[in-house]
Amino acid sequence: MKTPTRIIPAMIAAAMILAMSVFLPDPATTAPETAKPLGPVEKIRTSLNPRPEGWAAPDHTAALERARAPREYVAKVRLEDPKLRQIRFKNLGLGVGDIKYSYMVLDSPLVNTFENLYGPARFMHSKHAASLGGDCALCHHASPEGADAGTDRLSETVACRSCHQESFNPDHPERIGLKAAYHQQCMGCHETMNRGPVDCVGCHAKRVPDHKELVKLPADPSPIEVTKECLRCHQQAGEDMIKSAHWLWKGPSPFTVEREKKVMSGKATDTMNNFCISLPSNWPRCTSCHAGYGWKDETFDFRDMTRVDCLVCHDTTDSYHKAPPAAGMPAPEVDLKFVAENVGKTNRNTCGNCHFQGGGGDAVKHADMCAVLRYPERNCDVHMGGYDFTCTDCHKAVNHKIRGRSTSLPVAEGSRTCEDCHTNRPHYGNGVLDFHLNKHTDAVACNTCHSPVYSKCKATKTWWDWSEAGDKARKPVKDKFGMEDYNWMKGGFEWKESKKPVYTWYNGYMERLLLGDPIRPDADAFWPGENPSAEAKRRMVATNITAPVGSIKDPSSKIFPFKLMDGIQPADAVNNYLLAPHLYPTSPDDATAYWKNLDWQKAFVDGMKAAGLPYSGEYKWVRTNMYWGIKHEVMPKDMALSCVQCHESLTGEKTCDRCHQDRRDMDFKKLTRTGTDFTKMLAQGRDVAELVNATDYIDFKALGYEGDPILKGGRFKKLPLGRVEP
Amino acid sequence: MSIPRRQFLKTAGFGIAAMAAGPAHAWESKAPDDPLGCLVDVTRCIGCRKCELACNQVNKLPEPETPFEDMRVLDAKRRPTAGAYTVVNRYYPGALDERGQLSPTFVKIQCMHCQDPACVSACVTGALSKKENGTVHYDASRCIGCRYCMVACPFEIPAYDFHDPLTPQVRKCTFCLERLEDGKMPGCASICPTEAITFGRRSVLMRLARERIEGDPARYENHVYGEHEAGGTSWLYIAGQPLAKLGFPAVPDEPLPRRSETIQHALFSYLWSPAALFATLALTMKTLSGSKKDKE
Repeated sequence: MKTPTRIIPAMIAAAMILAMSVFLPDPATTAPETAKPLGPVEKIRTSLNPRPEGWAAPDHTAALERARAPREYVAKVRLEDPKLRQIRFKNLGLGVGDIKYSYMVLDSPLVNTFENLYGPARFMHSKHAASLGGDCALCHHASPEGADAGTDRLSETVACRSCHQESFNPDHPERIGLKAAYHQQCMGCHETMNRGPVDCVGCHAKRVPDHKELVKLPADPSPIEVTKECLRCHQQAGEDMIKSAHWLWKGPSPFTVEREKKVMSGKATDTMNNFCISLPSNWPRCTSCHAGYGWKDETFDFRDMTRVDCLVCHDTTDSYHKAPPAAGMPAPEVDLKFVAENVGKTNRNTCGNCHFQGGGGDAVKHADMCAVLRYPERNCDVHMGGYDFTCTDCHKAVNHKIRGRSTSLPVAEGSRTCEDCHTNRPHYGNGVLDFHLNKHTDAVACNTCHSPVYSKCKATKTWWDWSEAGDKARKPVKDKFGMEDYNWMKGGFEWKESKKPVYTWYNGYMERLLLGDPIRPDADAFWPGENPSAEAKRRMVATNITAPVGSIKDPSSKIFPFKLMDGIQPADAVNNYLLAPHLYPTSPDDATAYWKNLDWQKAFVDGMKAAGLPYSGEYKWVRTNMYWGIKHEVMPKDMALSCVQCHESLTGEKTCDRCHQDRRDMDFKKLTRTGTDFTKMLAQGRDVAELVNATDYIDFKALGYEGDPILKGGRFKKLPLGRVEP
Repeated sequence: MSIPRRQFLKTAGFGIAAMAAGPAHAWESKAPDDPLGCLVDVTRCIGCRKCELACNQVNKLPEPETPFEDMRVLDAKRRPTAGAYTVVNRYYPGALDERGQLSPTFVKIQCMHCQDPACVSACVTGALSKKENGTVHYDASRCIGCRYCMVACPFEIPAYDFHDPLTPQVRKCTFCLERLEDGKMPGCASICPTEAITFGRRSVLMRLARERIEGDPARYENHVYGEHEAGGTSWLYIAGQPLAKLGFPAVPDEPLPRRSETIQHALFSYLWSPAALFATLALTMKTLSGSKKDKE
């Protein structure tokens, strides 16, 4: 049977030529859909971002080890009236402070009684204890016989699996097994308290069955064949997906003020930024991050679910990738059959392949996400590096709609905040510091203290001057982070790493300038040909493309950290709105794309035509700002800001007697000064020299306070006893 | 020769009474002493259908039309079928939750593994048998497909491979016999996340059931379904509502085979009844032919 093996590739090639001639009327163009070359391409099956040798998330690994360690079975227990038990424990002072392990993974071999349909639940012990008022007796309902917390503090609040082990033990038929103990305790309480999940996937990630036998694909299938095969079983997923933001790139904008009712906002329609500006007319380049195949112009059919790219999110091999300027088509070397047979849950790589690369390169746009997060150190991101979180552990998806709001984009499919897990009293201990820190949470967002510098792992772009673009002769100079300051296609740049964010009041809503919206009436501008100095450009009055909404007077606003993206971009001189240039050449004979022809006028004419807005024919350069929320890369708690880093007034204090009459027996200096060690970060090569010994981290006056709230009182609170500092 | 009619009836009547009352022919239960069983605590069931999934895997049953995670199947009441030996049904017996919403009760049904199974009694070939460990076992090689078991079962459990024209079988819960023999628990009991199913010796389960009811009388109906029903079953149920509201049939406490087998045995022991029948026929014929002769 030699003939068919030779005929099949020939037939495929012939079919492709035929298909191309149908798709592309002009054979001279290198249109995006030709990502698959005619010749044979060597397929790759290896991970593009292999896990570094020895990488492990330490907190998670330790919790797993603890969970799997066997425990001696407590055969005899002492029951006690729950209320009397609670009082007895309280009298002994048992509480959150006694918790040895605040994080647990409930993954004992004892719970895997049939087969592992679901992954283990993560259990935040301290958080649960704290939100139950430190009532240990609520869950620890019985004691090993003979134990006495009066003499051995933790002897009565033992782990669940001390008493609950195998099910149906004939010697203890009434004692339920560990799996049932967890489920009855957790679900029972969640139901009674009407808080916390009671469904399977609320606590457990469902394991994806092995698809090797399930997927039926020919060798070297086309991307669309793969999707059709997925839809054979997952029709509903397809129907859900084509209604999702990842597919439509537009949708409702519930957190954009004055546009809450708008249902069509997004990159696909009217969103702009001060990086590559906007999507219309530049589709093939931009849509290489679209979860679909072939969005190369405005004719893309969003109802055709066979064009959904399932693999880009569900690849577990880390070998799948899209060819950059191919309108979302996979790179030709991707072995699609192999990837399809190894589909699974999303992971840091699948999400990161697009989201770490926002702006066309690692960490360019986002100051709180970069490729380091694929396998980060604990110090870089405590959730991912310490606890091995994936993105969807927080950004949970239902019906392919993914929770979370963005500062840079209006589309939102739900919300996700730190408080959802950590509560609004997240400092769980009952120490004096926890008490004082918890008083901050109404006014200060978590990341203000817990992510005191942005882009600490990789430099991010903070300035983009389009007016300088077009000089092919100018040699790019590398800055201290190794990043280039110029690109003839794009203009001048500035990069920052480990920088202090800007802080402003934010209530979770954004103001947004959309395509066609007028720029500030008092915005400064300069004309083409003019070349103001760098300083003059920075002094220009800027228009905010995005800006947080909030006020010191608004109880729902908190002080929130942002990266400020600054830059110069073109605006229509007559219509006074920002211009959407045609940048990316969609074919070799594209006569208007700026990156080919370096003619702004032509680029604006075609770009604005695609955007559906008139162009007056005259343009000017204006300064724009965007506020990018710092939400990720949360650092471990010992690296949060210390008290004195913001409250300068505490630097001279030696005791608590400014506010309290008694002289407490504690090391006040240590208490108020333990936090982010910028000296150490500096020693590790981070660019934080100006932050070492800073005691004015937050500019209280700029935020609307009279001064340091310790001296002047909070935004809603007077100082105790009407005390006022001179 | 002629026997007066009255005399005949008298003799026959005494005969029947003697057969029925005779201690040698009294019905005896063949129930195992302390079989394995399961106690289903309906108040613990969360309706997750994982038992259905485990049953499907252990018994290598066909893939269901709708996946086990799809809870819409609970919208209709189901019976066990040839492809699903256990099913969970949802009832709203009327209890309200704190927000005034009807709270559901989930009931898993499967073969009750009766102590004295009517199906075993009805089976003409011995394809069904009650094992010492409690399982009501089906031996397909002996089955002739008469489906008497299906008629006999008071719980309407046995199902039939109607779609299979060549080698149809009666299908019902096997109590995962192979797993039991390996010292493992039934699939459904192993997978149940809340231990709504407790597996063990029937005597232990009875004690547990009583303890739970006595320990929380507000939570439980004072009734262990299966303690006496149909003469006792290996699977037992306790619930928070009257079991009749949860789809459980009212089944007499008497072992069902007792009456049927007593009548049968009374009629057929020593082939008494056929003998009597033929004797009557012979007598009748003789009487008739005798009278004819007399005429001639």
